[in-house]
Amino acid sequence: MNSSVQKKQGLIGLLLLLILVYYFLFKEWNIFQSLLFGTLFGFTLQRSRFCFVSCFRDPILFGNTRIANALLLSLAIMTVSFPVIQKIKFDATGVLVGAVYPTGIHTVVGALLFGFGMVIAGACASGTLMRIGEGYLLQILVLGGFVIGALLGAGTFEWWDNHFISQSPVIFLPELFGWVGAVLFQLTFLLFVYLVIKYYSKKRSLKI
Amino acid sequence: MANVKIDCMYEACPIPLLKLARELKKLEQGDVVVVETDHSCAILNITEWAEKEKFDYWIDETNQGEWDIHVRKTRLK
Repeated sequence: MNSSVQKKQGLIGLLLLLILVYYFLFKEWNIFQSLLFGTLFGFTLQRSRFCFVSCFRDPILFGNTRIANALLLSLAIMTVSFPVIQKIKFDATGVLVGAVYPTGIHTVVGALLFGFGMVIAGACASGTLMRIGEGYLLQILVLGGFVIGALLGAGTFEWWDNHFISQSPVIFLPELFGWVGAVLFQLTFLLFVYLVIKYYSKKRSLKI
Repeated sequence: MANVKIDCMYEACPIPLLKLARELKKLEQGDVVVVETDHSCAILNITEWAEKEKFDYWIDETNQGEWDIHVRKTRLK
């Protein structure tokens, strides 16, 4: 019913994006790359209605596993493909790519806090940004909370690092099981998670 | 036949679906619940559930970024 207004808005957005892309193309190559990747990622996220909150919430609340399975599948694809990139880079340069950081109690606490927060807020970080772009007003409030939280975290990071993070062990699976073993281990684990979600969610479906 | 409207404006998932299910539970067969929402994700959330439960549903876009999701308490064959 308002398609002509929406078309106009879309064209203005596209024009702004093109100006930004053109500007950064010659000034800042890094920002240009991020902008390009961000645009494609955001577009995919919005069009596919992929919601990371829904992955974790819907199997428990409604017994709906569609998006949870999609996330497990994408993790499985990444499990197989990313070590290939890592191995090739590591053999060629001796530098390990990817975020390999200490794992410990802080991971568990942080994950729980983030999980509670995202279910209450109705979106994770990328989802918040995508829905603000879409015009969903509630998420602007969420973004405020997100910025405050991120600033507090960044401001006190040194304390957390000294007390918890730097004292935890760094676990890198290929170091423990070898490259092929690590991939097989993680795939088996993902299969296990898939089966747990499948049987657990059956009991949780919302019937009326 | 009853036609109940529930206001889910500015409510994020999973509230719209939970409110809808609670309302549908109270109603008779053939009654319709209309969920007013501005959350595009709630559409997917609700229609997926309605499809699974085999309820009849349809969606009206009442304004830019505002939708009425109708769900009828009738089991489709």
